[in-house]
Amino acid sequence: MKPMKLIFVLAAVLGLAACQSKVEYGDATEVETVNENFGSTDLQAIAAKMVDSMMTFPPVVVMTQNNRPIIFVDKIKNKTSEHIDTESVTDSISNKLLRSGKFRFIDMTKVDAVRKQLDYQNNAGMVDPTTAIKFGRQIGAQFMLYGNLSSIVKQDGSTKDVYYKMTMRLMDLETGLIEWSDEKEIRKTKSKSFLGM
Amino acid sequence: MKRNAFLIPRSTVITILMCLTLSGCAFNSILINYPSQIAPYKQQINSPTPSLNLDDITNEIDSNDGLLYAQESGRLAQINGNFEQSKHYYQQAMEAYKTFDDKAKISVTDIGSKASSLLLNDNAIPYRGPGYERIMLHQYQALNYLFSGDSQGAMVELRRSNELQSSEQARYQKSQKSVQAMANGTIDAEVNKLGQSAGTVTSSFLNAYSYYTTGLLYELLGQPNDAYIDYRKAAQISPNNKYLQQDLVRLAKQLSMPQYDDFSRRWGDATLAKAGQGQVVMLIERGFVPEKQSLTVPFTIDGNWQTVSLATYQPSMMNSAPVSIQGLGSVLKAETIANIDALAINALKEDLPAALVRQALRVYAKAEMAQSVRSESKRRNDQIDAGAIVMQIFNVITEQADRRSWLTLPNQAQIARQYADPGEYEISLGNTQKAKIEIKSDKTTLIWVIDTGNRTRFYSIIL
Repeated sequence: MKPMKLIFVLAAVLGLAACQSKVEYGDATEVETVNENFGSTDLQAIAAKMVDSMMTFPPVVVMTQNNRPIIFVDKIKNKTSEHIDTESVTDSISNKLLRSGKFRFIDMTKVDAVRKQLDYQNNAGMVDPTTAIKFGRQIGAQFMLYGNLSSIVKQDGSTKDVYYKMTMRLMDLETGLIEWSDEKEIRKTKSKSFLGM
Repeated sequence: MKRNAFLIPRSTVITILMCLTLSGCAFNSILINYPSQIAPYKQQINSPTPSLNLDDITNEIDSNDGLLYAQESGRLAQINGNFEQSKHYYQQAMEAYKTFDDKAKISVTDIGSKASSLLLNDNAIPYRGPGYERIMLHQYQALNYLFSGDSQGAMVELRRSNELQSSEQARYQKSQKSVQAMANGTIDAEVNKLGQSAGTVTSSFLNAYSYYTTGLLYELLGQPNDAYIDYRKAAQISPNNKYLQQDLVRLAKQLSMPQYDDFSRRWGDATLAKAGQGQVVMLIERGFVPEKQSLTVPFTIDGNWQTVSLATYQPSMMNSAPVSIQGLGSVLKAETIANIDALAINALKEDLPAALVRQALRVYAKAEMAQSVRSESKRRNDQIDAGAIVMQIFNVITEQADRRSWLTLPNQAQIARQYADPGEYEISLGNTQKAKIEIKSDKTTLIWVIDTGNRTRFYSIIL
């Protein structure tokens, strides 16, 4: 009788332990399918495809052979029906492009902070004027990178289909020509489980 | 022997306990009717001196009916002008809807709550709002985003609201011819001729106010084509609203739509702003949506007392007349775009067949429970049949109508629009307190007026 009791207690302990919440580290590039919303896997797939496409596009390859073009990133317009942090998508893309060593970037989100700093260096009277960075010495961007993220959502009974399309373009600011453009499509289908809590 | 008199069969007790645990822990509306829980908040928000304490109601967001309490808290915060706070509560309500959407087809918790509804009442089933409430949630969230200065966030909510509107439209498409006409995009002259009856049928299924709000925000945020689509749908539901007619003529002209000739013939040419003028657009919400009443009928089965309680709306619906807005030069008369009470009544009508089936099953279950207790006690002739009495009291007390619905919604929505010269104005609705607004040239001032009866609030933003 005693071993039976022990087994029962063990089972109960195991059962209770299973209910306990726990924290685990995972692989950041692992495929994530918690729900059908825009997630890390989509972000990574978009960034990888866009960077890959741009770096291997023949005219862009020629363009970056002898110099490092200067790009500024306009924000990606969110046209989906989800609240998505599109700045994080552009961050990933510009990071990868910058790390390739073929492009240089201007960060338009920090213009105000830079202006404040230069103002302080030049006008506060606290900084040695010979070391103060002068206004009007920054280099202008030659290209603008911009894009749209749109989605089509369809739902019928237990099936939900989400389609995302990310379009990105690189515009030559001097000529207004689009030098490169590509899109990444993602489709996710969710079907409800038959039995569950 | 005496102890046994109070014994209710153990299996019944276990079943009740099982159901209670399966369907969750919180049981707010099961014994205390829902409108009486919300009444103090409505009173607070409506009192001339504002004092809003949402602590108790927001605690309920974790409960079984969390969705409903989140909607109420969000709306209360919104009426009070705390748009950021309201955004947070609405977000919680949306997550709750999503959990419902993602639920398995056969869900253990669902079965649990359905089973406890058979023993107790329909309030044991977690609240899930009717279609129009869910659409209004996104509509209000869009306004929250807009009034806290995030137009891209507002656009996202508009698209979500559109997605739900189209699925709601699809639901009625099969049965409603006038809805079908709307999907084709033709403003059917026939519907006009058929008069109020046809119009009201559509307007009690679909909410013209939601279509108008999404259309308006699209227009103000620079997407006139999307606005045109939503205005047309709103006009199909509410064809006699002259502001809506003007909007359609104006946008048809601006976008050179093929319908322009037809529209201008029917409603006159578009009036456009004079050079330098600004525009005022008003959304006016009045009153509170009516509460569900309970209709209780007592009767006996085999000598055991039982009751049935069904939710219903009071037949006399009073719709307030359009308001007059003073302070913008000439008196501006608003026009009704939607009656939310009609939507609520229709939602209840739709829900009734299922509720009646559950009611019949519940009567049977309760009668069986009472019977099982009584027959056992009966054998002991000389004793008071306490078990049966307890059972009957339990049955009568637990029989409560499902009176839950989003009660802080307005009863009626009206709209108005006018061009005016730039400057500062003091506007009021008849005898309400005055509110300062500003009009800038070539800009639109959106004024959102929430009139709860004793208090009128004005929120405005220049776009």
